[in-house]
Amino acid sequence: MTAASMNPKAARLQKVFPVDLEKFLPERVLKNYGQWVDRKFHGNGIIEHISATGDRIFTVKVGMPPNARISAETLDKFADIADSLGIGAVRVTMAGNLEILTDSLDKALKIKEEVEKMGFPVGGWGRSLWGINSCTAYLTCTTAVVDSPSISKALGDALAPYFKEEALPAKLRIFVSGCPSMCAGGTAIDIAIVGQWGAPPKIREEVIGMCLPPPKALAKIPETQIFLVQVCPTGALTLRREGDKVKLTLIGEKCINCARCKENCDAFDYDPENVGVAILVGGKLSNTGSGPRLARVLVPWLPAIPPKYEEIVAVVKHVVEVWRQNAKPGERLADFIDRVGWSKFLEMVGLKEVHDYYQRVPEFARTFLAFRGRGDVYKRLRDAL
Amino acid sequence: MSAPANLPPKEELLNRAEEILKQLEGGPWPSHVSELRKTRYPLHVYGVGLVARKSPWGPAAVKVEFLNTGVLSRWARDWVPGGGSEVHFRVFHTPGKFLRTDFLRKITKISRELGVGLIELVGQTGALVLNLTPETAEAMVDALREIGTDVGGSGDAIRALNACVGPALCEFALYDTLKWYAEFYKDKRVNDNIVTPSYPYKFKVKFSGCPLDCARAQRGDIGFIGVWEGAPEVDQELLGKKIEAGEVDPEKLAANCPSGAITWDKEKKELRIDGTRCKKSMHCIRAAFPAIKPGKKRKVAVVVGGGSKGRFGPKLGWFIGYLEPDQVKDAIDLTFKVIGPWEAEAQPKYRLGDYIMHLGLDKFIEKAGIKLEGMPVSTAKMPDEVPYAVLPKEVRERFLSFAQQLKGRV
Repeated sequence: MTAASMNPKAARLQKVFPVDLEKFLPERVLKNYGQWVDRKFHGNGIIEHISATGDRIFTVKVGMPPNARISAETLDKFADIADSLGIGAVRVTMAGNLEILTDSLDKALKIKEEVEKMGFPVGGWGRSLWGINSCTAYLTCTTAVVDSPSISKALGDALAPYFKEEALPAKLRIFVSGCPSMCAGGTAIDIAIVGQWGAPPKIREEVIGMCLPPPKALAKIPETQIFLVQVCPTGALTLRREGDKVKLTLIGEKCINCARCKENCDAFDYDPENVGVAILVGGKLSNTGSGPRLARVLVPWLPAIPPKYEEIVAVVKHVVEVWRQNAKPGERLADFIDRVGWSKFLEMVGLKEVHDYYQRVPEFARTFLAFRGRGDVYKRLRDAL
Repeated sequence: MSAPANLPPKEELLNRAEEILKQLEGGPWPSHVSELRKTRYPLHVYGVGLVARKSPWGPAAVKVEFLNTGVLSRWARDWVPGGGSEVHFRVFHTPGKFLRTDFLRKITKISRELGVGLIELVGQTGALVLNLTPETAEAMVDALREIGTDVGGSGDAIRALNACVGPALCEFALYDTLKWYAEFYKDKRVNDNIVTPSYPYKFKVKFSGCPLDCARAQRGDIGFIGVWEGAPEVDQELLGKKIEAGEVDPEKLAANCPSGAITWDKEKKELRIDGTRCKKSMHCIRAAFPAIKPGKKRKVAVVVGGGSKGRFGPKLGWFIGYLEPDQVKDAIDLTFKVIGPWEAEAQPKYRLGDYIMHLGLDKFIEKAGIKLEGMPVSTAKMPDEVPYAVLPKEVRERFLSFAQQLKGRV
């Protein structure tokens, strides 16, 4: 008998997945499953879902703290509200906000009052700021170079009226990621903020040995078989002979700061003085308007200075204003930029220079083809259907 | 990470950490710091990180028996006074991310008693995250399994699945995303590949009920997006009522169609939509629902190869064909057909999309043995504008036989 079959904990090899809809969905939702026929908006934060059976469910969307971080204590209070004024259920949205479900507009408005007393805003549907997605960054992450939750807090503070009651031309969503891994939803979104190193990493010699084969083996294994050499997309990490030793060396000019090496080995270090964020605009995932696309780099680097991040907030607010004042109703930022054209948009924002990093040939040509060319096949789902 | 230069001495560092944390409380937006204060999370570590402008966490490991994914552990860097440790579980979310209060209270109880009282309502992949300590890890896994969920979804494996709310709450859902979510989880192959990381890199599966793509399925390694064939369905009578009530402006509606598929016949008071031009942008449907609805013939569009992290940078997925809304079992088989060549051949840290880029989409489809309705004929990377090439005999013969068939007909 194997250890696995003797140990009762081996049962963990079959996961318990939450798949029983009867158990997890609220009764009123089960009763009306697949029968929803319409919806009405009451302000930015309350949706009235109308079912063919005549039933209604009202959802009250409550803005959550950055990175959807909540204490068990506060969550219990929301559960109390859901029980006393709702139908005993809440729902978590894709942006990490919380919807409390109820069955009348009256109760929905009371729920709004209660959560506002607790210090939480209600809003975020229709033509508003839907939410700010943030990765965990300095809360739990080893590779983050800027702290997304505090950046999200600064942005939330500045843009809160657009969540709550003020109108925008269309939906606005912001993703804030702490490093080039872009864990906060990627960049296919209206405004994406991505932390970046600003300068090539430095190798900590005392630790790099842990991520490489032992020195004698390193001298014999072909370079292309070394894991750290493989993960670098441009060949900036390479083995060099120094006397009788073989060392992993970083060729600074080939580095594109993609952070693949950092993700895979803790020995790659950096100086916070160079660190900043890139601001990208005009991405979208939904098939509406001009279809889905990744965002474009508007500003390649801005400093990220906690806790107020004034430079980042200033630029984001400015972009939102330019869009708000010039876009047609229903026009997402991506469609607005498409309509006026990228050059005109830059003019409107007042940027006289765009970095367009990978357009500089020939030294980046190889990198462009390998890393940025990305083998685009179609203009995405939109034109393929 | 080494200590940043000019780090103040211990006492001052901790004071400045507390100052900066205070500045993150208050203000119109809810503060994560205020929430963290109500938990046993080592907040001073976060504060020190903000002062140093460097992440204060380094990698650590926690061993939990027979749990190879979903457990993440960190300890504070040596330049953080007082140190600290952080452990969190990625927990599978409920279908549609509905939390009935009875279940929600079980989660908060586990968080308070076995965790540190800190919860992340949803991560970007779609999991629920619970923070805990190394000592309580074993007990917490058992407690979670008892209430009907489990820990998993990290590393080079299949990650937690993500589905939009679908028919549970949304009138736009074109197939049962939650049923697909459940059926995928019930499949043994999915379970085994969530439990044991053995892939080149991560693999994410996403389900969106309609082209609004709320679950970001276009950016999944494999994504299933609900669509329909042809034109949306127009209920002319109901539409007429909406126009009279001033809710819909038919001329504006026609003008705003991104593909120019809509015409408004003023005389006949009829809205006509050209199905061959319809690009499924959902505009008219959203503007006039339920007078305009998606077409009756529903399909599930399959996209592969999306991702944010990967060897060659962020990408959106490639469309490879359709499935029927009732073909969930075929969808699972298709997923593993797609995974097959990638798992066998791709280098470490290559996402499916990187592998497809390397190989070429047409060769990948051939290798994986994929046959779907509506598969694109041409998967070339760029339009072929160069007239000369070196062609093997077989290729020349195939085109010759194409022309000979035509000769026979004309």
